[in-house]
Amino acid sequence: MKVRLEAVRRTYGTVTALDGVTAGFAAGTLTAIMGPSGSGKSTLLHCAAGLDRPTEGTVVIDGTDLGSLNEHGLTVLRRERIGFVFQAFNLVSALTAEQNVALPLRLAGRPAAPELVRRALAQVGLADRAGHRPSGLSGGEQQRVAIARALITKPAVVFADEPTGQLDTQTSRQVLGMLRRLVDDHAQTMIMVTHDPVTASYADRVIFLEDGRVVDEFTGALTAETVAARMAGTC
Amino acid sequence: MLSFATVRERWQSFAGGFVVLSLGMALVSMSALALASAGPRVPDRLAGTPVFVSAPRLDRADGSFAPDRPWSPETVASLVEELSAIPGVAQAVPDRAFYAQPVIGGRPAPSERGHAWSTATLAPYRLTAGTAPRKGETVVDRSLGLTPGTEVSVLTARGPVTFTVSGTVDGPGVFLNDAEAAPLSTGVRAIGLVAEPGADVAAIAKAAGRFADVLTGDGRSVLESRDDERTRWIGMQILTGMAVLSALVSVLVVGSTFAVGVAQRRREFGLLRAVGATPRQIRAMVYGEALVVGVAATAAGVAAGALLAPVLGAVLVDVGFEPAGFAVALSPLPLAGSFAGGVVLTLVAVWSASRRAARVGPLEALREAEVDDRPMPRLRWITGLASCALGVASAVSSDGEGAFVMSGLVAAVGVIAGLALLSPVVVPPVAHYASWPFTRGRGAVGMLVRENARTAVRRTAATATPVLVTIGCAVLITGMVQTTAAGFAAVRATTIRADAVIVPDGTPGLTDVSGGESSLFSAVFEANGDPLSTIGATPELLKTAGDTSGPLDELRHDDRVLIAEWLAEDRGLRPGAVLPVSFEDGTSARLTVAGTVRNADADVLVSRDLLRSHDPAVLADEAYVVGTAPDPGPGARVVDVAAYAAEADAEEDRLVWIATLLLVVVSTAYAGVAIVNTMVMSAAGRVRDLEVLRLSGATPRQVRGTVAAESALVVLLGAGLGTVVALPALFGIRGAFAEAMNTDVPLVIPWPLIGGLVAVCLVLAAGASVLAATTKVGR
Ligand SMILES: Nc1ncnc2c1ncn2[C@@H]1O[C@H](COP(=O)(O)OP(=O)(O)OP(=O)(O)O)[C@@H](O)[C@H]1O
Ligand SMILES: [Mg+2]
Repeated sequence: MKVRLEAVRRTYGTVTALDGVTAGFAAGTLTAIMGPSGSGKSTLLHCAAGLDRPTEGTVVIDGTDLGSLNEHGLTVLRRERIGFVFQAFNLVSALTAEQNVALPLRLAGRPAAPELVRRALAQVGLADRAGHRPSGLSGGEQQRVAIARALITKPAVVFADEPTGQLDTQTSRQVLGMLRRLVDDHAQTMIMVTHDPVTASYADRVIFLEDGRVVDEFTGALTAETVAARMAGTC
Repeated sequence: MLSFATVRERWQSFAGGFVVLSLGMALVSMSALALASAGPRVPDRLAGTPVFVSAPRLDRADGSFAPDRPWSPETVASLVEELSAIPGVAQAVPDRAFYAQPVIGGRPAPSERGHAWSTATLAPYRLTAGTAPRKGETVVDRSLGLTPGTEVSVLTARGPVTFTVSGTVDGPGVFLNDAEAAPLSTGVRAIGLVAEPGADVAAIAKAAGRFADVLTGDGRSVLESRDDERTRWIGMQILTGMAVLSALVSVLVVGSTFAVGVAQRRREFGLLRAVGATPRQIRAMVYGEALVVGVAATAAGVAAGALLAPVLGAVLVDVGFEPAGFAVALSPLPLAGSFAGGVVLTLVAVWSASRRAARVGPLEALREAEVDDRPMPRLRWITGLASCALGVASAVSSDGEGAFVMSGLVAAVGVIAGLALLSPVVVPPVAHYASWPFTRGRGAVGMLVRENARTAVRRTAATATPVLVTIGCAVLITGMVQTTAAGFAAVRATTIRADAVIVPDGTPGLTDVSGGESSLFSAVFEANGDPLSTIGATPELLKTAGDTSGPLDELRHDDRVLIAEWLAEDRGLRPGAVLPVSFEDGTSARLTVAGTVRNADADVLVSRDLLRSHDPAVLADEAYVVGTAPDPGPGARVVDVAAYAAEADAEEDRLVWIATLLLVVVSTAYAGVAIVNTMVMSAAGRVRDLEVLRLSGATPRQVRGTVAAESALVVLLGAGLGTVVALPALFGIRGAFAEAMNTDVPLVIPWPLIGGLVAVCLVLAAGASVLAATTKVGR
């Protein structure tokens, strides 16, 4: 298991966003987390990725218990072992696409070889937009730059919160296809939150959340229809 | 890399900090340059003489300009003899100076110094026409336009004397024959050693050192006049004050600019944290940005300062903060110092903002809306409350004596600072109540204005605070300066029991023949050389003006002295004891203590005749007339008591007022920058609000109206709060003053000035916010 959650609870004051979630995510798989709005999907992702600390329970990534790390240690772990793609606001607006991609390496004090960065951009089909700032890129392009940045450190896991939430169907399909290939070709471990059955159908496994609990999960040959049917069953 | 890129990308949010810092550093570097140039100078009229010997000089307290004891006439004579005998010395010239002001066309000429003719060689000044003066003759500055052979009336301490011009000279002043100059002159404190051509100056200096203290090179600058020294001292205070004020306000404004910038960029910092930036890296990044801005702004400011410094120098001489002849020299050290100081200042200013940036968590990157509801930091609560408490405590504990002025100031400043710190909690409720007029009527603008001002806590507070501080301090300081000036005038008017006053007119003081009763203010020296301030007066005069009390009739005797109580106590002097003193002319006398006096403006009182006979050059400041006033002659005029009381300290009041205005203008300029900055920076965050407003059917005019009314409301709020805080302190200061002085003191506040300042803030705030809103929501 690349990522393991053990009885994770997260409360915000009186609101219980996660209520004792236990789950494991195997290496080289793409997992989708689904559920109604407010069910705790984002909270689960944040806790699993070390962006947020659970109120109770443990999170282990690649053998490291996040609870044992201080803020600096957690930051370094995020930098070295984890990649993120958010729904929006993914890029630093002052930097070019290329500089955004190189950012995690520079923050880690590692040399950011231009070829490496170019290759990462080429991988997401943006070799020719390296010098553009986010304001000069479309939403889909920004999202792909964010993916390139998430992958530049060769992370153990990539987390994505509704990575295609703001993209049209055509672009969504491109981005998802790319993510799928990363899992298949490079055995990348990936966890993503989504609302959309079509998006979820790219995954190896779907976990359903409701009121902060895992209420259902299934694996196997997923299609948009089967996922939608399952959703209708649980909700 | 990131810092540079960020500054380039988000230059608007750094523009305010840049402007403030440039402005501040221009002021600081100008002041630093002026300060560096403001050291004592070797007076031009002594510059040509390589070696001087001087009478022993005492170390004086900062801000004291008491004279040093001159040599006795015998000592001068023997020194001249001994010094002239040194090999290589052509001539030993005692520096004798006195009051001598030519009257040309019935008006006193601007030149007022007289010198013995022999001192012309010290400069050296050369005859441009005519011959050296004999008895009854004078050589004058050629720029006066007098030709040899004409007669000229010259005012001296004893009255006008007519001389025949024997020649003209290429330097300032009036020169008399040495024999005639000696009895008019103050004591000799320096003797110049004119060297023979090719003589060994070092050897002369060494030889002279056996007889007295030797001054050579720049060391001769201590020979500058006490007046120049005093002027320089005032200038130093002003310049230092200006530099410190600029630096301080720059730190505050730059700090708040960066704080607002950080608050607006929480999402970006969150993103950086999420992709692996440590808190330390975020801090470093914010410091890096500050460094980019700081270096650029400081460089610009210092460059501007260097360009403008000569102008400042001229202005300082014009308003009387530096002596004539002062010029600002461009020296690298103050410029480098200002530059380094500015950069350090920026980093200090950004300290708090960088800490706040580093505390942003990675999850902030995911927040949808930027919310403005973060509670106030605890430290701010604590310092704000403490500051208010200090102010209130100081107001309550004041005892009504003179110290009240100080505690009144502390009270007002404490409360103003406290309110400024607490503004995020104080301003919104006040805005709520202050904006009730907007609830009348059914207009949407009123409702929007009111709700926006209340809910956008940070913006409201950020705009109201600089206004509060500026207007509060302006009311307080200008009100205090004008009220105390009016108070002193009132006091003078009540203590003068005369029908009229004769005052100088184009002259530094009155001669003995100006008429009326006058006193002379000078100094005597104790055996160890310590000066005692001395008034020479008649009992009649002391009864006419002021409230000096004691056995004043003793002043009819020329061998008596009345001393202040502190002196009697300190030296154990009882009536009948002998006080040995020496006078301004260098002669000594043993005076009998005849008693003590209160409320004398000097350490000792002697008879006017005694003082005049030993200080031939001192002039009276004013003379009091009972009955009909005589014709005072040229260089003096008669005024009534009320007019005199009002203008007596006019010169000093003028300097204080200029300094006050300078302070107010500088702080208003900063407040203006802070306001514009807040408006421009917060405009970006308001685009969505304003767009929604437009989409809901507001016309562009209504949008502009909302924005303008809102900023006007906030500015008026700040101004009102500032005034409300300052007024009680002013009333208290006036009350204490009236009590201490035993007279009615009017409360004077320059309302037009205050109104002008508020108007400036209003125009800036409304203008900046409307402009920013219009450019963002263009359609
Ligand atoms: N910072 C917070 N403070 C208070 N409550 C929070 C916070 N973050 C999340 N919550 C609450 O926790 C619950 C779970 O939120 P979460 O964002 O995980 O839901 P979600 O499944 O991602 O919803 P959506 O599909 O709308 O994004 C919600 O009820 C939400 O209101
Ligand atoms: Mg969510």
